[in-house]
Amino acid sequence: MSPIPVLPLVINGCMSALGSLATLKLIPAFKDHFISARLYGMDLNKTNKKEVPESQGVISGTVFLIIMFCFIPVPFLSCFVEEQCTGFPHNEFVQLIGALLAICCMIFLGFADDVLNLRWRHKLLLPTIASLPLLMVYFTNFGNTVIVVPKPFRLLLGMHLDLGILYYVYMGMLAVFCTNAINILAGINGIESGQALFISGSIIIFNLLELGGDYRDDHIFSLYFMLPFFFTTLALFYHNWYPSSVFVGDTFCYFAGMTFAVVGILGHFSKTMLLFFIPQVVNFVYSLPQLFHVVPCPRHRLPRLNPDTGKLGMSWSKFKRRDLSKLGKLILEVAEMLRVLEVKRGQEGDDEFVECNNMTLINLVLKILGPTHERDLTTIMLLIQVLGSVLAFGIRYHLVRLFYDV
Amino acid sequence: MSPIPVLPLVINGCMSALGSLATLKLIPAFKDHFISARLYGMDLNKTNKKEVPESQGVISGTVFLIIMFCFIPVPFLSCFVEEQCTGFPHNEFVQLIGALLAICCMIFLGFADDVLNLRWRHKLLLPTIASLPLLMVYFTNFGNTVIVVPKPFRLLLGMHLDLGILYYVYMGMLAVFCTNAINILAGINGIESGQALFISGSIIIFNLLELGGDYRDDHIFSLYFMLPFFFTTLALFYHNWYPSSVFVGDTFCYFAGMTFAVVGILGHFSKTMLLFFIPQVVNFVYSLPQLFHVVPCPRHRLPRLNPDTGKLGMSWSKFKRRDLSKLGKLILEVAEMLRVLEVKRGQEGDDEFVECNNMTLINLVLKILGPTHERDLTTIMLLIQVSTTVGAPVR
Repeated sequence: MSPIPVLPLVINGCMSALGSLATLKLIPAFKDHFISARLYGMDLNKTNKKEVPESQGVISGTVFLIIMFCFIPVPFLSCFVEEQCTGFPHNEFVQLIGALLAICCMIFLGFADDVLNLRWRHKLLLPTIASLPLLMVYFTNFGNTVIVVPKPFRLLLGMHLDLGILYYVYMGMLAVFCTNAINILAGINGIESGQALFISGSIIIFNLLELGGDYRDDHIFSLYFMLPFFFTTLALFYHNWYPSSVFVGDTFCYFAGMTFAVVGILGHFSKTMLLFFIPQVVNFVYSLPQLFHVVPCPRHRLPRLNPDTGKLGMSWSKFKRRDLSKLGKLILEVAEMLRVLEVKRGQEGDDEFVECNNMTLINLVLKILGPTHERDLTTIMLLIQVLGSVLAFGIRYHLVRLFYDV
Repeated sequence: MSPIPVLPLVINGCMSALGSLATLKLIPAFKDHFISARLYGMDLNKTNKKEVPESQGVISGTVFLIIMFCFIPVPFLSCFVEEQCTGFPHNEFVQLIGALLAICCMIFLGFADDVLNLRWRHKLLLPTIASLPLLMVYFTNFGNTVIVVPKPFRLLLGMHLDLGILYYVYMGMLAVFCTNAINILAGINGIESGQALFISGSIIIFNLLELGGDYRDDHIFSLYFMLPFFFTTLALFYHNWYPSSVFVGDTFCYFAGMTFAVVGILGHFSKTMLLFFIPQVVNFVYSLPQLFHVVPCPRHRLPRLNPDTGKLGMSWSKFKRRDLSKLGKLILEVAEMLRVLEVKRGQEGDDEFVECNNMTLINLVLKILGPTHERDLTTIMLLIQVSTTVGAPVR
């Protein structure tokens, strides 16, 4: 197996650090352009009505792309300078370029979504389009669709299972899931950039731990992407942290989700990567009734500011009892019984009204802790992210024995 | 040499045709989104003040990308299905993906420019950034920087000349040139999409003619890009033709310029490609004094509508005589003497004023033909594009 390419990693690290500084400076520098283009929002949880520039993910994303474009020949320099390699590693080169194509396309479509305000069905379509080059590269490079069956299912399915085209569906869905899962765990200053920062940090730690393992090349490949992503996002996080002077936009959620999907798929560690998404998965599952409109879903589900106390409390969804389907009533009752949902019932005129808290992880945390200041709430959410990563490492390195032979 | 891959070309052609229909339908479908996003302009040469959606190049560009993404495995299918190829042609695959990365990045940055209204220096920087992957792929795939010296210079420079890093500078500049050259030959309905349509059509004809030559693979590669580009641009041209119901935006100029630069560089026929750019080059050279502000340059240089006759006439740049540098005065006098510039001189109060027509090819055509209706003017400009193409086989 090849030795650890120290020089390319060091160069990547330095370029990432420079990129971080560039992003730090560029974000305030372009503020006026975004305001003039009407790409701004009002912070719904602040009393002032200042215009906050949106879609700043386009800046960190562009710096990321520039870093990666300049970095393209670096892992292969030894082939030219010293002619040390036995035949140019074309398939690794193709992986790199193909991954960048998927990410670049996603940043583009994400920015188009922010500008043109496309509909929800487009939020599922755009990541699928952007992941096409990834699937094509996978098809021509590996084409491997056989998975190792987890131990509990081996009696039923055997040791190996060829998923065939379902493997490609899984890969396509991974991109769709990662982008939207980050997008819906949102609404408080710093949460979107923060969660992505901590997920990428966890992936970097995982990659470094695995450098001594059998799949070194896969993890080096992942580091080449995760280091620039981490550092550009760090700069974005600095401006996005409470109180936010910029918002990241859907552009950032798309960019982050696709970058994670790319390293997970081409690094062959997508299951471990999903373990780092535990808070996002919990939020997604908890949100399902509202996402499918079984329980009515308002336009915004972020927590609500109490202007007197200055703290955030749960936000609510109010609807008429008779508008609720049987399934909706069942879900409300079960969730209330499990103490994960607060339900109020009342009467206004001739109609019976029901109110329940919006079914997001952030609201659930507020239910448990009571009204909290926004900065503290984001800090707690990010701590949950870290705990989720710790749990992920625990599962990956210990509980894994329950599922696979290691 | 490998046989002509008929099936991939046919598949590409069909996908391009479908893409054309998709673009035709999608442009009107997204009209409201663009208006709401305030991506619209007013047609300066119409009396009505209707809002015309801008940046529609982003739609034809996205359809182009989707076609190409789906097409990626097609040229290599024979390797999987019949296992006919002796080792997977990785370098061809890398070329394809690298070219798409440059084009995708350019469409993205072009759209960002349209939305954020970036400054002129950014219009030089953005194509350079987007061409980086192209340069990197070229470096790792070929790395060849030796050129064959043209006959007149051989006594001086020898038969071959290794340009080294200058070759990469040339490639980078090609992308910058193509994008901006299309961008400045603009201002009348249908001219931007029209010129790109005819240039790509010329390149397609050139590629088809060269299929029987020694560099077949290069020209097949070019066709894989030019066919989808031609058909998606055709649909855009349909909506952009006089009277324009949509404008193409800088997005389209960037997209077109980069796609041409990509096929020219990776197909190794950039010099021939520049021959198809003769009107753009003439316009560029003629515009140089204003681009460098030696002669004052107003915000818009497009022809002006005479509301009474309904015809377009030249547009003018007016400035004080004393604000003009010596070089500026010289250029005006030489151009006027060569009959390529009309200059008026006058007095207003204490200052002497000078007016000259804006130095664009469109204005020059109007100088020769006199006031012309917009539709006829665009038709003439496109005929000029076609006739220089016919002349290009002089090569």
